[in-house]
Amino acid sequence: MKIYISGLYSGTNPQPGVGIARSLRSAYPDATLVGVEYSNRCSGIHWRDFDEIWLQRPWEELSLPDYAETVREVLDSGALWISSIDLEIMWFGEIFPDGHPNLLTPPMSALRQTMKPEVPAHKGLPVEIPTFVTTDLSDWELHAFCRQHDWKVWLKGPYYEAVRVRTWADLEAMRGILSRAWATERLFLQTHVTGYEESVTISAYKGELLKCVQMRKRDLTELNKTWAGDISEVSAEFAEPLRKIVKDLNWTGGAELEMVHDAAGKLYLLEINPRFPAWIHGATITGHNMPGALVEGATKIKAQKAEPQAEEFTRVVMEIPVRPDFPLPPLPEPYTGAFGHSLKHPSGLIEFAQRLHKTDGNGNGNGNGNSNGDHKSENRIADVPPTFLSDLSNFDFSRVETPSFLFLEKTAEQLFARAEQLAEKLSTDSVSVRNAYSIKTNPDERLIALARKHGFLAEAISLLEINKALEIGFEPEECVLNGPGKWWRKEYLPSSPMRTVFSDSIADLNRIVESAANGEIKADTFGIRLRTPNIPSRFGIPVDTPETFRQLIESISLLPRNSRFGVHFHMASSNVGVAQWWSLFETMLRWCSSIEALTGRMIETLDVGGGWFPDDWHDRSDDHFERAVANAKRFLPNVREIISEPGKALAQPSMAVAMRILEIQEIADGGKEVVVDGSIAELPMYFFYPHRILCKDVRTGMWQALGRGKAHLLGRLCMEHDIVATNVELPEGVGVGDTLVFCDAGAYDRSMSYVFGRG
Amino acid sequence: MSLDVVKNNTSHEETNGYHACGVIKGGAVFENWREFPYTNVSHHGSTCCEMAREWLYAMDYTQLNGGSPFTGPRWLRQRYNWGPTVYPIHWCEAIEEKTLDCGALASLSREVFKSRNVRAYPAQLVQQFTTNATTQWQKKWSEKEASTHWINDDVIYHEGCAILTGGNEIKVWDSSAGWWVRPVPQNGYGSLLALRICTDDRNNISVFQWGDHKIAANRWQKFETQQLAAAA
Repeated sequence: MKIYISGLYSGTNPQPGVGIARSLRSAYPDATLVGVEYSNRCSGIHWRDFDEIWLQRPWEELSLPDYAETVREVLDSGALWISSIDLEIMWFGEIFPDGHPNLLTPPMSALRQTMKPEVPAHKGLPVEIPTFVTTDLSDWELHAFCRQHDWKVWLKGPYYEAVRVRTWADLEAMRGILSRAWATERLFLQTHVTGYEESVTISAYKGELLKCVQMRKRDLTELNKTWAGDISEVSAEFAEPLRKIVKDLNWTGGAELEMVHDAAGKLYLLEINPRFPAWIHGATITGHNMPGALVEGATKIKAQKAEPQAEEFTRVVMEIPVRPDFPLPPLPEPYTGAFGHSLKHPSGLIEFAQRLHKTDGNGNGNGNGNSNGDHKSENRIADVPPTFLSDLSNFDFSRVETPSFLFLEKTAEQLFARAEQLAEKLSTDSVSVRNAYSIKTNPDERLIALARKHGFLAEAISLLEINKALEIGFEPEECVLNGPGKWWRKEYLPSSPMRTVFSDSIADLNRIVESAANGEIKADTFGIRLRTPNIPSRFGIPVDTPETFRQLIESISLLPRNSRFGVHFHMASSNVGVAQWWSLFETMLRWCSSIEALTGRMIETLDVGGGWFPDDWHDRSDDHFERAVANAKRFLPNVREIISEPGKALAQPSMAVAMRILEIQEIADGGKEVVVDGSIAELPMYFFYPHRILCKDVRTGMWQALGRGKAHLLGRLCMEHDIVATNVELPEGVGVGDTLVFCDAGAYDRSMSYVFGRG
Repeated sequence: MSLDVVKNNTSHEETNGYHACGVIKGGAVFENWREFPYTNVSHHGSTCCEMAREWLYAMDYTQLNGGSPFTGPRWLRQRYNWGPTVYPIHWCEAIEEKTLDCGALASLSREVFKSRNVRAYPAQLVQQFTTNATTQWQKKWSEKEASTHWINDDVIYHEGCAILTGGNEIKVWDSSAGWWVRPVPQNGYGSLLALRICTDDRNNISVFQWGDHKIAANRWQKFETQQLAAAA
């Protein structure tokens, strides 16, 4: 019996070839085991259980048609082949679409049913697939997905690699890297599932499930790979549907179903690998020789029984002799001044993936691009609200100086009106919901005036801002004063009572107590801002230690008794994510409830700052807000006023930035570097979220949103990071002097824009 | 472990026929702790302890962050080192400590589970370690003038917290380690030799299901270990 085993990489993220060989040596001591590798840098070629080593040139060099013939000859000669390389297995699927009796890997039809992220084969198993989207979606939609899932998301490649992306900048950078590496635009984003990792591994031949075991990870590497685990039987609830799936798919070979068990007991399937896992010899140690069972199933030659040595296994690092006929290659020269030796994947797997995508594309077995169901990216373009276009029609762009901010009047009016309606809808007989406009979001007088017109309060972080609100027509009793530097500048302190003043620290609270006592500060409500205890923040009074909590409780008792008491908290939902924000809201209610119980001061005003991304506030939140009001009342029965601060959600869509193209430079691979007269000085939030970019169609004169492409929009500043958009597609005919409009720039882009490079 | 703690358990192994099911120095593995009460953190009956308790509940709510109420409160162990505690200890003292022993940690864990509306019970465990380990612990506890009654040669008494996850099924949270105790009999270092789940909820559950094991309430149960032939 001769068995070829490919995939012998044995680094910290190993392939299973060595483990398979160890298990087969135990099952068939006299078999000839041939280790197949594509690099002499893979240390598994030196493992003693291999009788022969069949070293091929790296994938990037191999002639795939010739190699396919060689593999066919090997199989036709009667030898078996167990592959442990996902890409090789897919390639085999193309060469042998209906399988080969001696090829112990799944047929292509089965592989298609295990493709990530949908994994269609999972149906019937008691598992769920974590929520995912493909990167075909527009940047606007991808950002929304990340916000909805609290930025607890993974960007995953079509075959291997998953990287955690915590920010928009992360996502943009990693998308570029993975797309280039795997030669596809079609990656996917998937939510993270917190829990314990476990897997089920199977051995099957021609649709018959020969054996399956469950493994729970008990120790992990830095890459979350198995370092130790325990093996147990698979429950009947899982095994029965699994048996049917194996039969339906006519599965041959090993497979590993990687899963996560969450705290509530729900099981999530992350992926099905079409091969044995790298820890497979751990199962053999516990008496379950899966590769042995596979070969026995295929050949009907009885394997030697694996005696269980333990129920758990672990790994160690060990040094082994190098085979004299495969001496170690030298290390490559380090690049000048670089750290380390910059070694790429030794067997050229990434290049292999690129070849599978790039070559003929006809699915003829010579490496086509359809093996993962991939297709040309759909390049979804973000929707643009009609009011944007209507507002833009009011501008004569031949006269608009660029770069400049454009006030989208109808858009702003509609948004403020909607906020007013929502507040009215949410108010009840016992609790009034009021909007407050956070002046710092954008101190443009037109927006502040709109806020006043629509019944908002004015929320200020300084007395200067209070003064501005008063100038525009707000009364002091319509002003909320907040923040750590709120007393700047003192000469603007109103003489009549403000609506609410929140202290940002114990020291601030003591100062307010003193100033209120001598009549210097007057307010209907005095309150505190609470610091979010599990999300880093520099604002508010901390409660994260018993000592600070006690100080807070003691200090609250000093607040004037003839004023109402309130609590404020703020955390930008656009930063922490929507679900996280709502959890945080409930958390703060819980703290408020404790504060009430311990101080005896009833909370009558609850001020919740939002930092809402516009779509999250406008499109998906009505139910949330209704529940929030009900919850606030449940936790705090005496609350009479809830102040909501939707400033960012209203201001951000209300302005855009117009800029002109100064120069277009063609670069390699059909790309373009486009210099514009705008810059990150006008779009300082560029790094935090995507902006919808509009350009006039040269033929129709209609505004159209840019999709994803190969153009990079470079700002006018001589700063390396002044890039206002990457990977966008400029419409045909667009040239120097044409105007681009960056939407969604009316909040902190406007208020934090700065003067730079203007002389 | 604690001696001056509030004594709550009233039912003992002698009354339920589980005699002599493990032998250590001539007795059951739990012989030394047959009558041992589980730990409760005491309350002064005044604002100081009430404030401490409110802080614990609110902080746990925060740490849970909308997650499943069955999530183990590992944050407690992250906040408090494991080490000697001198009893009696009150709420206002316990939460200000930097170090708490297994009894205090288990007691706080139990409280937070209850605050999440999860039914939680004291879990008393006997575990196998080595004299290398227990000698170190003996010294460390003695230096702090804390009781070492929980150590007996290479076997220790330990406390955790059992929670009801549905029906009569329980999971056992090791508050000191920050993990769930596996309901699988094992030998050797750290293995579980005996377990007692304490409850005064007599009208409700008399037998708990823990993995494949049935655990009678308020009774010590020894765990038989399976020796694999090849490993022996």
